[in-house]
Amino acid sequence: MKKYNIFIVICFATLLHSCFDDGNNFNYQTPEVITVTGLNASYDKISQSDSLNFKPTVRSTDPKADFEYFWGIYETNVQGYPPKLDTISKSLTIKYRIIQPAKAWILEFAAKNKHTGYTKIITSTINVGTQFTRGWYVLKDNGNQSDLDLFLTPTTIVPTSSIENVYSLVNGKKLEGKGLGMNFESTYKSMVTGTNANTRAMFIFTEKDASIINTNTVKEIRPFNTCFYISPTVKAPNFMIVGSSSDYFVNNGILYSIYTMSSNFGVFGNAQMRDAINSPYRLSKYYLTHTNNNPVFFDETSSSFVSASGSSNMLNPITDATGTAMSANKNNKTLLYLGPKGITTFEGVAVLQDKTNPALKILSVITPSTTAFKMVNDTLLNTSKLYNAVNYSANVGDESMLYFVVGGNQVWSRNLVNKFEQLQFTAPAGETISFIRHRKSTETGYAFNYVMIGTTTGSGTYNVRMFTKTAGNLATTPSVTLTGSGNVTDVFYLSPSTSYGTYPNAY
Amino acid sequence: MKKIISIIVIAIVFLSTACDDNNFKIYTDGANIQFGPEETRIYATTYNLADTTKAYTFYYKPTTVTQDTVFFDIYAIGGITDKDRGFVLKQDSVAGATNAVAGIDYIAFDDSRVKNNYVIKAGKVHTRIPVILLRNAKLKTNTLALKISTVANENFRLGEKTNLWRKIIFTDKLSQPNQWDANMIKYYLGNYSIAKHAFMIQASGDRWDDDFIANLKADYSLLSFYTSFLKTSLINYNNAHPTSPLKDESGVLVTFP
Repeated sequence: MKKYNIFIVICFATLLHSCFDDGNNFNYQTPEVITVTGLNASYDKISQSDSLNFKPTVRSTDPKADFEYFWGIYETNVQGYPPKLDTISKSLTIKYRIIQPAKAWILEFAAKNKHTGYTKIITSTINVGTQFTRGWYVLKDNGNQSDLDLFLTPTTIVPTSSIENVYSLVNGKKLEGKGLGMNFESTYKSMVTGTNANTRAMFIFTEKDASIINTNTVKEIRPFNTCFYISPTVKAPNFMIVGSSSDYFVNNGILYSIYTMSSNFGVFGNAQMRDAINSPYRLSKYYLTHTNNNPVFFDETSSSFVSASGSSNMLNPITDATGTAMSANKNNKTLLYLGPKGITTFEGVAVLQDKTNPALKILSVITPSTTAFKMVNDTLLNTSKLYNAVNYSANVGDESMLYFVVGGNQVWSRNLVNKFEQLQFTAPAGETISFIRHRKSTETGYAFNYVMIGTTTGSGTYNVRMFTKTAGNLATTPSVTLTGSGNVTDVFYLSPSTSYGTYPNAY
Repeated sequence: MKKIISIIVIAIVFLSTACDDNNFKIYTDGANIQFGPEETRIYATTYNLADTTKAYTFYYKPTTVTQDTVFFDIYAIGGITDKDRGFVLKQDSVAGATNAVAGIDYIAFDDSRVKNNYVIKAGKVHTRIPVILLRNAKLKTNTLALKISTVANENFRLGEKTNLWRKIIFTDKLSQPNQWDANMIKYYLGNYSIAKHAFMIQASGDRWDDDFIANLKADYSLLSFYTSFLKTSLINYNNAHPTSPLKDESGVLVTFP
């Protein structure tokens, strides 16, 4: 009997375990699917003018679905403070006038099924712009002073109208000297909004002047003198560029920098030294820079390639790679050209001339690693067209080609692999080529891939012809032509989605 | 039933012990006087001993300035009263230092011109006490020490031992600014020397006093600029004087981190 009782107790104890409530929350129903349609991935809107006017369609597989809605907006590219999601509506239909300053914003739409608790979130990029934030900017000069022309492109990459001399129109002054170039920085720090924050800015530099402008307004943020903590005694800008985590300003051959990954107010720091004993140096107007690598410059004094970091006070020496055709240091060369060959990759092409024997000219394809700097050289025959070139632009990120100007009115190309040279363009009679550059952008609705050739006529007007290309060869007729008064030295396409990495900076 | 009643009684006994009044200790030990940090930092324990010693120099002042004031914060412990309460300060000698002399190097604390400043006003527990330093010729070549301590009187007993004194080191030469602290020494400026300090002022044209350095600390990019500028300036100086690089008053080469 006792055994029987023990057996009963064990059975009860075992059965007791099987009688617990099933407390799991497994759901064997088909998961609810909420779909939202009627919203694009991105929109272009003009601040203080356009509105968000949407009514998306929301559907659910839940037959008892009962939705509540939320619309919010927050800014992108924020440094120094957390982005704030602003609620702008709680109904399905949104009618909201854009008041945000020009830059990219994220519109967030959320549909929550109150029956199931599930929420579907959709985001769209709102590229908020002004009349100044989309179009072709042309840097031009009259020989003494420089200005900007803006060609507006409201619907396609082809301009429909223009604002002549937009820089002086907004700022009441022109830039002194002949134009040199423009570069864009989307994380430049300024107080234009009242707080020190990322500002979409353009660096504009001429032979005698420089200006940093807010691209939303074209208003000058800093003239040359306030770009530095101590303004250089000689006002002779060479270039202003964006590099990895830093901005650089070379004036009179001397490098100044801002390290953008630490707190700063958009002011360039102390002149960087060449070495620990502050040896004299003078940087060439040509350079290589990249968003993920420290830039490479060429010291004309020592005939050496050098690198730099924005957080340093001294240029960095470069170490040759095993098997390089020529040393990066003290190579006794004059740099005739150096420009980027890739966009995502960091590589360049250079033309050098020997100081002792000026008849010796070398075309070099460069892998600009600071610890393994490699040059693959091609000695130019004096019968080659490139030997007598005066203006250059590498094909950036596409074909392995170099475009260059010969005789002032012809653009030739040279295949960097098979050395084949080909005439690509001859300027009409009376026009002299002043500018050549390859730029491309993949922006939806505004994509382009042009080799741009700027010419000046005898009457002081310019033409910028933009050619598409096939296998590196230019189309016979330009896709876009910009015309205006003056001499062109740079052309830049700006849009709300342009970032500092859109175009490789190059002279 | 008897058991249940017993359990209830025991539970009530236990619960009753949880109902005692919490007898907070209230300070009732009269009024004490002691130094302390600035008012904004009295609850920051890391500042308990801040401002113990202050450095001052007449170096940056025009020659027409013959006296200047250094302030310390002092606190009455034990609550407020409805009448003003005077307190007493005295000078302590600092061993191994050239001690300031009352009436010559500073205005004595019992001097009628300053005596009325040493009062905790009615309804207050804090005041800033002025110590008026006098400029004279010997400060051009000497650095003086003035140690101040509180004295018990009819209004106050002495407070915490660690907060009963303050010290001023003053001169008419360059002296190490208070802002040239351990962090600045380690990362930006290196060890202090008068020669280095003078070089920095000459090279940059800036004062490099407390206000200037405090301003730099608030702006990292500006601080980076100046540290780079000073390094370059020193290299340029040494390049220009290859046989006599810049050395400090102890004969040590001047360097920056």
